[in-house]
Amino acid sequence: MNKIGMIDEWYPVGLFSQLDPNGRDTWLMGEPIRVAIDGEGNPLVTGGNGRVLAVCVRYGHVWASLGKPDHDLFPIPEADQPGRRLVEVGVVRVRCSPLRAVENFLDIAHFPFVHTDILGSEPHTEVQNYKVEIREEEDEVWATQVKFYQPQAAKSASGGITTEYMYRVPAPTCSVLYKTCPPRPSEWDVITLFVQPLFEDVCDVWPWMALYDDDTPMTDLIHFQQTIFLQDRSILENQIPTLLPLDPGMEIPTRADLTSVAYRRWLKRHNYTYGAQLVAQ
Amino acid sequence: MKLYDYILSPSCYKVRLMAALAGAALELKPVDFHPGNEHRSPAMLALNPAGTIPILEDGDLLLTESSAMLAYIAAKAAPGWLGGDSAEETARIQQWLAFSARLTSSLGGARLTQMLLVPCDIAALQKSGIAALRELEAGLVEQSLRGCRFLAADRPTIADIACFPYVALAPDGNVSLDPYPTIRLWSRALRALPGFIEMPGIHRLHELKPEPEVQAEEA
Amino acid sequence: MQSDTAGSWVPVALSSDLPALAVMPARIASETVALWRSASGRATASADRCPHRGMRLSHGFVRGEALSCIYHGWSYAQGGQCLKIPAHPGLTPPETIRVVTYAVAEQDGVVWAAAGAPAGEPPRLNGFAPLRSVTVDAAIGFIEAAAGVGMNADGFLSPADAPSGLCLLLSDQGAGQTLVHVLIGQDAGPSARIAASRAVEALRRRAEALSTEGAGA
Repeated sequence: MNKIGMIDEWYPVGLFSQLDPNGRDTWLMGEPIRVAIDGEGNPLVTGGNGRVLAVCVRYGHVWASLGKPDHDLFPIPEADQPGRRLVEVGVVRVRCSPLRAVENFLDIAHFPFVHTDILGSEPHTEVQNYKVEIREEEDEVWATQVKFYQPQAAKSASGGITTEYMYRVPAPTCSVLYKTCPPRPSEWDVITLFVQPLFEDVCDVWPWMALYDDDTPMTDLIHFQQTIFLQDRSILENQIPTLLPLDPGMEIPTRADLTSVAYRRWLKRHNYTYGAQLVAQ
Repeated sequence: MKLYDYILSPSCYKVRLMAALAGAALELKPVDFHPGNEHRSPAMLALNPAGTIPILEDGDLLLTESSAMLAYIAAKAAPGWLGGDSAEETARIQQWLAFSARLTSSLGGARLTQMLLVPCDIAALQKSGIAALRELEAGLVEQSLRGCRFLAADRPTIADIACFPYVALAPDGNVSLDPYPTIRLWSRALRALPGFIEMPGIHRLHELKPEPEVQAEEA
Repeated sequence: MQSDTAGSWVPVALSSDLPALAVMPARIASETVALWRSASGRATASADRCPHRGMRLSHGFVRGEALSCIYHGWSYAQGGQCLKIPAHPGLTPPETIRVVTYAVAEQDGVVWAAAGAPAGEPPRLNGFAPLRSVTVDAAIGFIEAAAGVGMNADGFLSPADAPSGLCLLLSDQGAGQTLVHVLIGQDAGPSARIAASRAVEALRRRAEALSTEGAGA
């Protein structure tokens, strides 16, 4: 609907490793911006009228805000653990609401049909009960104890396993997934979806990962994640309406959709409505 | 045979698909095309100065054109896919192999622009992509009026494999496939072939698998 | 053809373009539908939106007598009720979960659909047989101008200078697009059919050129 409620948030606008002194023109919530690197090697992001935007660099990406953020970018403590491989997957543009892109990332029931024989397969379609909460202190949506049978859960997995997931939404267009780590069962792999809202119905998606996997070549890790996301892209571009409906009654959730229900409720509560549709049309 | 491969490249997919359908083994060497631009690295330029992928390497043979790779794999592993039972069939195969380059530049260009942000004149690419799809649709209609389901014959050939990927992925470049019923039938026929493999953006034909028995697992 | 098509038959596709176990998008007036054919051969037109998450059902798949959504596999019967939610295999979906379906009739090789309850049967083709369907990026008026003849009340038009035995069945798709079903005499041979297909390509170029000129004027 409007960007007021989301204007003071941080958004990914580029890979730090690919900053260009000449700058790259893009958009942030309808405003044209230029993402560049200055003479000292720091990112420089300017808005439509030449004003310099607030920036920070974290998790391999440059983050910018159109407003005045009163908080740091959300923490991912695992990102600093030694031994993890940090994977910059690169940008993919999708003609969908940035909020629809995040909601799809929180969903497991589509695995057998969209990520067939990789993240899911028939007849293993059942979504068992899991826990969802809005953690008031951190002000984040969390889903825990999510379990799903997966034929090839990760590049490092061989054969099918029941994978455990935790999902976290720390910002309106970002999600962090913690997932069973096949080589280190005591740790979680971290897979994120950072979404840059260009417009209400177009977004650039910047997946990023912090994995324990010493064996798989970096390119294979990138390609695995690109495969998964590009399987989702044709779904995201064909949902009606394009904007995420926050009005209950427009779509029909079941128990498997409780993360989505909590995410929509949390968006509505905070007036995070850029990319959302409030009234059924 | 070693294929320098990118999982999201329709041209690389042509080669993987041909090998799968022909039952030929391929060694895959993933290239970090996006975001790494590895296809423009000195090591890759040494293999292919044009800086494109796929590249197929087999002993001394180094191929950089996907249509040549399809012909090579078919000739080695499944010669029936080369077609050419008549002068007309030979010509049709060459016609559509050459035509496939137009699909690559138009629909492939639109896809790179819309998906991976490669700067291009998107309206011009989409317009030429639609023109190419209309030609393909008309060609397939005429084939069906001759009793043939595929581009050069009543059985698939390398010409079909050369054209299929960029057509199937046209929606990635915001070019709709809704107006082409004969392309839809052709695409289904190809996707139903034994040994067919997918790539991201081309979903499995779930109807080919029977409805699974309901399995309520322990909650 | 009436501009208000509620309750009137619309030619949405040729039967031969919809084999068993296939689904395709189609338009009835302003509605987009998922047109699909079951294993037993019955054609159904369902609203092109899964009520679960809004995914277009025309991207889905048909097994047996049901249409499934590609996103989460929710499946729908020919009557529109939801039959199965794979995430909850033990659950019988409540009857309130359903998609709207439309009346469908199939005769002479054409699939017709209607919003509302149409009176009577769709028009017959009277000796013509379907050849192919073509989408034209021009409104019906430009096709009539290009053909040099108007269409009749049932949507049929025989171009003035086309090979004899060629007839077009027009359906307004909205947004300046027209779906044209090309019909030809039942006894036409293969070369006459190919010539007719090419003649329609030429007609489309003329109609679209007129439409572009019209828009520029």
